[in-house]
Amino acid sequence: MTFTLNRRGLLKATGAAALVSGLSMPSILRAQAQTVKIGVLEPLTGNLAYNGTQCAAGAKFAADAINAAGGIKSMGGAQIELVVVDAQSRPEIAASAVDTLAEAGVVAFTGASASALGLASSQAAAKYDLAQVFSIGTAETIVERGLPNVFRFTPGVNKCTSVALENLKQLNAAAGNPVKTAAIVHEDGPFGSNMAKIMAEQLPQQGIEVVETISHPTPHRDFNNIALRVKASGANILIPSNYLNEYTLMARALRQQRAELMAIYSILGGAASNIKFVRENNDVAQYVMDCNHWYDPNKPESQALAASVAEAGLDLTYDVMVSYATIQVIADALERGASTDRKAMIETLAASTFDGSIMPYGPTKFVNGDNVNSQPVNTQIRGDKIELVFPEEYATAEPVFPVPQEG
Amino acid sequence: MKPQSMGQAVLIALALIYLASLYFMSSPVWMGFTINALIVAVVALAWNITGGFGGMASFGHAAMYGTGAYASAILQVQYGINAWIAFGAGIVAGAAMGAFIGALAFRYGLKGSYFALVTLAFAEVLRICASSFAITGGGSGLQLRLEPGLSTLQFNDRAVVYTILLVIVALVMALTAWLKYSRFGAYLIAVRENEDAARALGIDTYRIKVKAMAISGAFAGLAGVLYLQVWLFIDSAVVYGSAVSIEALIGPIIGGAGTVWGPLIGTLGLHLLGEGAKHLLHNAPGLNFVLYAVVLICALRFLPQGLMGLAARIGTFRKKENDNA
Repeated sequence: MTFTLNRRGLLKATGAAALVSGLSMPSILRAQAQTVKIGVLEPLTGNLAYNGTQCAAGAKFAADAINAAGGIKSMGGAQIELVVVDAQSRPEIAASAVDTLAEAGVVAFTGASASALGLASSQAAAKYDLAQVFSIGTAETIVERGLPNVFRFTPGVNKCTSVALENLKQLNAAAGNPVKTAAIVHEDGPFGSNMAKIMAEQLPQQGIEVVETISHPTPHRDFNNIALRVKASGANILIPSNYLNEYTLMARALRQQRAELMAIYSILGGAASNIKFVRENNDVAQYVMDCNHWYDPNKPESQALAASVAEAGLDLTYDVMVSYATIQVIADALERGASTDRKAMIETLAASTFDGSIMPYGPTKFVNGDNVNSQPVNTQIRGDKIELVFPEEYATAEPVFPVPQEG
Repeated sequence: MKPQSMGQAVLIALALIYLASLYFMSSPVWMGFTINALIVAVVALAWNITGGFGGMASFGHAAMYGTGAYASAILQVQYGINAWIAFGAGIVAGAAMGAFIGALAFRYGLKGSYFALVTLAFAEVLRICASSFAITGGGSGLQLRLEPGLSTLQFNDRAVVYTILLVIVALVMALTAWLKYSRFGAYLIAVRENEDAARALGIDTYRIKVKAMAISGAFAGLAGVLYLQVWLFIDSAVVYGSAVSIEALIGPIIGGAGTVWGPLIGTLGLHLLGEGAKHLLHNAPGLNFVLYAVVLICALRFLPQGLMGLAARIGTFRKKENDNA
């Protein structure tokens, strides 16, 4: 038997196939689990691309883990589908990207790695009654605007600073108060300038005199003069506030200029809690201490995340951790609210008492959108690892302070 | 302002059709994206006054843009001044900054790349100052409270914002056209073509150039205020950053510097290209910028007079070659 197919026949066959597949599609869809869309608004390009990409990866790991564990059970095992949009490291693009998320039908979204981006996006989201759970957004203005759709899960700059200073006070006291003077090196942008100002005001109250304050632009490449000035100031400790590359170069210049410091103590340090810095600059990274966002390494979910990140060949940074945790918070709200209604999601998040995230926090309690039970922790680089050294209940190592001097 | 060729008429018609079609699209995404493009178009039109008509290519229009935005934000946030008054003050502040930079630069005879570098330096100095002082919100910037209403000049409805921006862009273009064909415009073009000859003919070139900077500064200040009123947040990097200055000059260069429609067409075209590439390559963030850059390089190489210059060569209505739209 021969079978010939001319152009008309081909068209008929194609039409029939399309009709059959179209008719059968609804039954296939019915058989599949429902999906719930969650937005991920991060700077995937521009100067914050590294942090944004890490955050997006963290969100994906969380969604995969939740889906693998059966999805949102109260919604019949609904699977989480992430809608990832690029904020391009620009506030107006972040605000515009909220339109894309709203149109895609997300129930809430997480983001946006930097306060400026989050401020713009959450304001735009308020018009849609769309909840934004902040992964990172340390500026206090985020939670001072009275926007009902804002939920900052991680601590802000005030809490990070006060906890860091309190921890420094305890460390110093335990060592017999050897630290009397400090130098501050900060980038001249929003993050560094604000932090330097707070430090200059609060360190003297702890009996630590600020003997040198040096600002530098971002990007900045030659840190030799800055290292020499720090060395000449005779400061006991250095408190830096700058981003990954500048932090790394600064630490290397300090080593080259043989600046004898009792500690490098960062607050939300650009590289101090970054495994890339540890891996690539292991000798200069030793004993660097940081007060930052970090997960509870003892939790099984945290260990599973660390394994997944390693398997994917990515860096395990706090961006991955906090983004993972914010997806957990949204998933918990979905589980409890069992609804994809945006207003209902805002109400459910506002009443959240979630304590199952990977972060070392108490049960979530949002007061004016700020999670009052969040807290930063102190980490210290030891060997090829970043150990958690404060608070004791989560610690994986004892703090070393002041650091042992060479030679 | 009228097109001089069939090509220009088609280009303008396409831009108008796109702008009108947004009212019939249900998607807020394209309207939101075009709102951004229209704000950039206003600052591009501002650059066109000095760079296009006057031949004074500035690399620092962010200085005027940011000053307008900050003046308005400071008045509203720090002093509780009404948004309408702050709106006007932002425009005046932009004009004052433009006149100040112009007066300083032209007093010492700075031209060409030296003028460009001075404007760039002003923008950088202002950026650092804005991130250092409490009145500008320091590093945290300034944020307007979300209070939609006519008195606060904030509107929840994107279509309203879009319509207001369309009207403003049309007004700025009408003013540009009026300037171009006015005595002042003729003086400015004379300065661009040959400043020594213009001076020999009795034109006070210093005064003309400073005036052009003030008018350009007013338009740039207006764009800064619009950014603030639409997105309600500014910080030093956002409004004084070099990205603003680059966007201000790239639209007119691609669209056609020294023409009335060029800045709008260039800005819209570039933004549409970027957005289109983003949608096509949504799984590879950043690749859209590569495509954008390739087209930009080609446009700069093959379209020295921009899109309007290219379009002027297609189906010419009149034989006056130097008179583009």
